[in-house]
Amino acid sequence: MSINGWNPSVEHGAPASSNEKVNILLVDDQPAKLLSYEVILGDLGENLIKAASGTEALEHLLKKDIAVVLADVSMPGIDGFELADMIREHPRFQKTAILFISAIYLSDADRIKGYQRGAVDYISVPVIPEVLRAKVSVFAELHRKRRQLEALNRELEQRVAERTEQLKERADLLDLASEAIMVRDMNGVIRFWNSGAEALYGWRREDVVGQDLHTVLSTKFPVPFSDIESTLFKAGRWDGNLQQHTRDGREITVACRKAFKSGKAGSPGVILEIIRDITANIRAEEALRNAEKLAAMGRVAGIIAHEINNPLEAILNIFHLLRDHSSLDDEAMEYARMGEKELVRVAHIVKHTLSFYRESKQPIPVSIAEVLDNVVELQSRNIQMQGISLDKRYVQDAMVQGFPGELRQVFMNLIVNAIQAMPDGGRLRISVREHVASETKTNWVSISVCDTGSGIKADDAQQLFEPFFTTKSTKGTGLGLWISKGIVQKYDGSIRFRTIRQSGGCATCFRVLLPGHTSTKKLHEASAWSSVSS
Amino acid sequence: MNIRRFVILCVDDEPTSLFVRSRVLEKAGYEVVPAKSATEALEMLQSHAVDLVLTDLLMPGLSGADLAREVKAQKPSLPVVLFSGVNEMPPEGSHADLFLSKLEGPALLCEKVAEVLHRFKKAAVTS
Repeated sequence: MSINGWNPSVEHGAPASSNEKVNILLVDDQPAKLLSYEVILGDLGENLIKAASGTEALEHLLKKDIAVVLADVSMPGIDGFELADMIREHPRFQKTAILFISAIYLSDADRIKGYQRGAVDYISVPVIPEVLRAKVSVFAELHRKRRQLEALNRELEQRVAERTEQLKERADLLDLASEAIMVRDMNGVIRFWNSGAEALYGWRREDVVGQDLHTVLSTKFPVPFSDIESTLFKAGRWDGNLQQHTRDGREITVACRKAFKSGKAGSPGVILEIIRDITANIRAEEALRNAEKLAAMGRVAGIIAHEINNPLEAILNIFHLLRDHSSLDDEAMEYARMGEKELVRVAHIVKHTLSFYRESKQPIPVSIAEVLDNVVELQSRNIQMQGISLDKRYVQDAMVQGFPGELRQVFMNLIVNAIQAMPDGGRLRISVREHVASETKTNWVSISVCDTGSGIKADDAQQLFEPFFTTKSTKGTGLGLWISKGIVQKYDGSIRFRTIRQSGGCATCFRVLLPGHTSTKKLHEASAWSSVSS
Repeated sequence: MNIRRFVILCVDDEPTSLFVRSRVLEKAGYEVVPAKSATEALEMLQSHAVDLVLTDLLMPGLSGADLAREVKAQKPSLPVVLFSGVNEMPPEGSHADLFLSKLEGPALLCEKVAEVLHRFKKAAVTS
């Protein structure tokens, strides 16, 4: 580094300013000489320190930062050369300038001896004041510059250390970010890839740095790439959603923010990309929209069911009255019977499908056995056709406080899934048990639906309760188990499953745990109600 | 043993429903007093000896549930059956002795009405 063009006071505020005084040590055993040096050097405006002996000079050297030592060669005790030897031994004073003043003639050999000891210069007696002043001044200035340089170096080192720390912190922060952060150059080549990107896409930094970003991720852009680029160069940034692929082939939707940073002095610049995975959010939003649609459908179904039920009941009654009516001949009677039979079917369908959705405002005690029987009855045709044997093991009086429609929906989903898993027959076991949790004294109803069907693959197990996950391709909506889980959780219950694989096949068991209904008031109501209706 | 037939107060705001349901009950051997509203039903109760009230749930003005509560307040021993197009008994229907879906059909309706009557008559005899 050059000292030229460096202005510490303005730009760096260095502690050693250019006009700071330096210390000049004058060593002579004769006070008169010391006085004369003092007078000669007084104009320099530096600090002059006087020492009457080598020993005293050493004391000053140890205490203060000395720029120049002006020493008489011949002194009693420690002479000038010995003093120079001692000064040079100390690492701190290796560079301290020493000026010898010698009253006697010095041969070249003597001078060389002096230089070897590290003296910087000689001045012979009689001392010419201008020469002495000029020489001391040069060394003082040299010392000052050196000190300034040292201070600057120290400061620079400090700044480098601070900056390094800052950069390290920033890089650490980039790695801490859950977002994927990437930097690519103008040719699309990846320059930086944080740990968020590693986590999101599955590629390690070293795998992808140097490769083309959008080739690696097989990015699909919502608009032509040239539009994105022109926005990026004009406005400096671009935001939008992209479709990309992870290392394991999953397609993900990401929210992407691109920022363009132009390079200095004509270099091409880079593009920063910050990416957040919004696949789950988008799925959840869709699921919510669908759930809302279902709820709306449910309300409509409820209204329709109610509007249909009134005339339906009247017609059922009319056919009932027509039956055995004396004025009908045999043929008319047969038609009336057929009409009634078909009508009973319609009533059955309306009762068990449309009315499922009817929402009551308050939860009521619901008999689990009734709900299950209801579902089984609806599915009896499929159970029969597929040659499935049904095994029911209920405790009859298990009650749950809730909405019958919701509970029916939970078990309808489980039972339909079980039946569909056994297209070539099998065994369907539905069991209801009650148990009391010993710590909390709470009563739980446990309902198991087990089939001997195709089983659940380990790969599917993770996503089984996610919306729109289905193994039935076009046949399923992928909402059944997701809705069931939502309902069960609303009841503070849980839903679990396991598949056991044996040599003979699979057994899959779904188990729903619901808080049992125990309040005495409700029990009273329940008994009054079931004794007449069952 | 029964000298007189059981009398059922049948309440519905829809005339056709009320008419055919009354005929069905008559065919099953009951005597029917029809009423087009809950208010009319409460008036009928003053002038007629009735063994059971069978009422629709959703009606303009007083609902079937309101009627059940009112009947129980006046005559606790008179059975009330709530009858509705909805599948589940609304919580406010808890005063009724039985809740029945209209879609169960006439045979089940008559069966259930008989059961409730039997239960109440037996209770009246033993108490």
